[in-house]
Amino acid sequence: MQNELQQLEARGDRLTHYELLGVSADADGGTIRRAYLEKSKRFHPDAWYRKETGRFGPLLSKWFQRLSSAYQILSDEESRAAYDSDHRTELSQTDRAALDRRELSRAEEERRARERRERMLRTKGFARIGAARKLYEEGQEYALNGERTQAIFALKAARELDPNRKEIVTKLVELEREQSRARANSALASGREREERRRFAEAITAYAAAFQNDPGSFAAAMGAARCAMESSDARAATIWASRAVELNPEDAGARMMLSRLFLSAGMKARARTELGALLSKNPDHKEAKALLRTL
Amino acid sequence: MGELVIGIDLGTTNSVCATVQNGTPTVISNRTGYRITPSVVAMARNGKRLVGALARRQAVTNPERTVVAVKRLMGRRWSAKTTQEAIQRMPYSVVAGPHDDVRISLGEQQYSPPEISAMVLTELRLDAEAFFGAPVTKAVITCPAYFNDSQRNATKDAGRIAGLEVIRIINEPTSAALAYGFGKAQGERQVAVFDLGGGTFDFTVLHMFKGVFEVEATGGDSLLGGEDFDNRIIDFLSEPFRQKHGTDLRKDKMALQRLRDAAEKAKCELSSLKQVEINLPFISASQQAGPLHLQATLSRDQLEQMTADLVKRCMQVCERVLGEAKVHAAQLGDVLLVGGQTRMPKIQEEVRRLFGKEPAKNVNPDEAVALGASIQGAMLLHDEQEMLLLDVTPHSLGIAIAGGFFQKIIAKNTTVPTSAHHVFTTVKDDQTSAKITVLQGESETSADNELLGEFMLTGLRAAPRGAVDIDVIFDISADGIVSVSAIDMQTGTRQSITVTASSGLTEDEIKKAARSNEDWMLGQKEDPEFQDRKNRAEELFREFETLWPRLTRAAHNGLGQEPLQRAQAALSVARLQLAQRESDALAGSLERLERMLQALRGALERSQGGA
Repeated sequence: MQNELQQLEARGDRLTHYELLGVSADADGGTIRRAYLEKSKRFHPDAWYRKETGRFGPLLSKWFQRLSSAYQILSDEESRAAYDSDHRTELSQTDRAALDRRELSRAEEERRARERRERMLRTKGFARIGAARKLYEEGQEYALNGERTQAIFALKAARELDPNRKEIVTKLVELEREQSRARANSALASGREREERRRFAEAITAYAAAFQNDPGSFAAAMGAARCAMESSDARAATIWASRAVELNPEDAGARMMLSRLFLSAGMKARARTELGALLSKNPDHKEAKALLRTL
Repeated sequence: MGELVIGIDLGTTNSVCATVQNGTPTVISNRTGYRITPSVVAMARNGKRLVGALARRQAVTNPERTVVAVKRLMGRRWSAKTTQEAIQRMPYSVVAGPHDDVRISLGEQQYSPPEISAMVLTELRLDAEAFFGAPVTKAVITCPAYFNDSQRNATKDAGRIAGLEVIRIINEPTSAALAYGFGKAQGERQVAVFDLGGGTFDFTVLHMFKGVFEVEATGGDSLLGGEDFDNRIIDFLSEPFRQKHGTDLRKDKMALQRLRDAAEKAKCELSSLKQVEINLPFISASQQAGPLHLQATLSRDQLEQMTADLVKRCMQVCERVLGEAKVHAAQLGDVLLVGGQTRMPKIQEEVRRLFGKEPAKNVNPDEAVALGASIQGAMLLHDEQEMLLLDVTPHSLGIAIAGGFFQKIIAKNTTVPTSAHHVFTTVKDDQTSAKITVLQGESETSADNELLGEFMLTGLRAAPRGAVDIDVIFDISADGIVSVSAIDMQTGTRQSITVTASSGLTEDEIKKAARSNEDWMLGQKEDPEFQDRKNRAEELFREFETLWPRLTRAAHNGLGQEPLQRAQAALSVARLQLAQRESDALAGSLERLERMLQALRGALERSQGGA
């Protein structure tokens, strides 16, 4: 165990989630879960409860948390896809090959499923109801295996065959909502990561995707605004900052940013309005006061 | 065999204590021989502390000084709306405590909910010590999965006051699943636990694989339980009575206690019968009509109708949690029913309907939780069977941000232990302190979430605004208990954090309560004089018993009934004194009994001699 921890420490951040869990990059959901549970048995702090772990104690808890966050990411289809595309270059040769294999077999499977759905969509008369039920069940099955995209396809076909069945629509709406939420979250996370690495153009793309999937995301709008400012795109920054202000009118940071942008574009009146709104909520905001004085 | 450790299911209405003995989880019977101890505490008129069945039995005659369902008040803030609603129905008096917490008035004294719970725990600890014949200091205590941080801390405090080192707080449904999965084949399976106890409802989905129990999602309602079903029956009984006689029985504490007992009894009987009669003679009296009686019939259908919304609330929680776990009801391997209220046929029927299968039969709804807790204790201290529990946090954890919003830092259903951090920047020039409000809940508005505490970050460097970055680290331990620390990122110095207690007891109060509880226990245990009197009393009871058939015969043959009746009365007085540990009074009774015994023996000999 101590050796294992030392090895993990030595490899540190270069370890991919697949390597950490000890699975190949084309592993399915069940394999990933079983690998995580077996590893937990040795890494969870409870397995070492009241035992002398000395300087390894904090390491155990650190690596257990790494393990469980790796599992969390790989167990959701969207976040796993985002992880795969963001970290492709870090994967080993064999894992990259495995990833390609997985994508290929997925594409093949999707193609077959699509053809089957198309065949079923051509069903006529009363048989359509039965076909819809079959597709609905298939959709449920997919959803359980974490394959949300496939599930949505199956349910959409089911809805077309039998538009009157409420449970199909309910499940579809639920999955679609879940999908946008998951997409928004993973886009937001990769936006943050890219922003930290100062890859602003790519970060804006990610933040924009997050905003598209969750139009209520203040964090996405602010992120995009920050990155647009960094890459000196004043027009884009203004659009994003005003969205942010719209979403959370009481946030002083967003208003401050917007006032600055208006000012540098020569729109003094609008800058003044923004600063006024800011100061009415935060009368002691020094920076806003100073800016208003210069106007 | 390693260190002794017990598992305790500290329930709203009943508590159970268990341990793992020779690899088998076993319920520890209490000293009166029952496997279940009512979670009831009373202060008798003579100032004695009564716990369990004894306290419950005298509740009708002493409702103001009998505390039931204290679990509903654990870790709650006085000012919370839910608290005010909960105390409406309590026959005892609940008042505001010094830290916006609640206190219970019993006679002269005021007690916090953890202190009352500690009395129940102490009783169970004494039972366990009698069982092992050795001191017990370590325990795993269960709480509803839906308990928040303050409720968990209050439970832990109760353990400490009872002199127990609480090595872990675990969630009740998870605990039941441990009992279910203990010693089962290594296969992979998914189960759901439907836990409807006296005061809370929890629903949890778990995944089991090779001895690892992974909680996938959990949810519930911390103010929905068997007692709400009882309350519906109480309303059903007292409403027509109020209309007819103009008296609201719910306002009369003694009547309310009788109603409560009758309602619970009727509810239990309706699990097997279709209809029951409820008779409460002399429940009240009016000036004109004299004594008033309450008589009613209640059918199972009526009960189901009047509690339909409660059952529906349970089912809605189930559906929501299944959605969060991304599980389809029909896909589950097993559904476990835990908690006494799940004996209600309507609930079993709804569970069958939702999950499309029979609930698992091999789980005892009253004992599974305590057994699971004892297994967890053995897992931690004795490496039991290479098992591991991966539990999750039931609530999202976050902070209040500008504009009254709530920012999540750790999402709910995240596996614990876990930690997350958040970087704060100073917003003013030369700012030297910052207030951080930590909240638990799911609402986007911070005011709608549960306040865990406010942390003052002090001693920040004086610098222009934005120049000081503080990394605040949030930890949730394997018990689900939250802690917060902060580091100044530029200097690497750890910041001192002062916690303004938002509810519950202070460290000093806990220590003081633990000391006074310890004193009480010493008074109970180490009294050789009482032990002697107890042995003598039991001996006397036996002698009277063996003599009784001859005495009854003699009574018919000229001795008369009177000496027998006197003896019987003296015996029952002595029994009561023994149960209530009234040592000095018992000594007096024993003397009287001995004199009676001698006199009766003499009388028997004379009558035999005369025959």
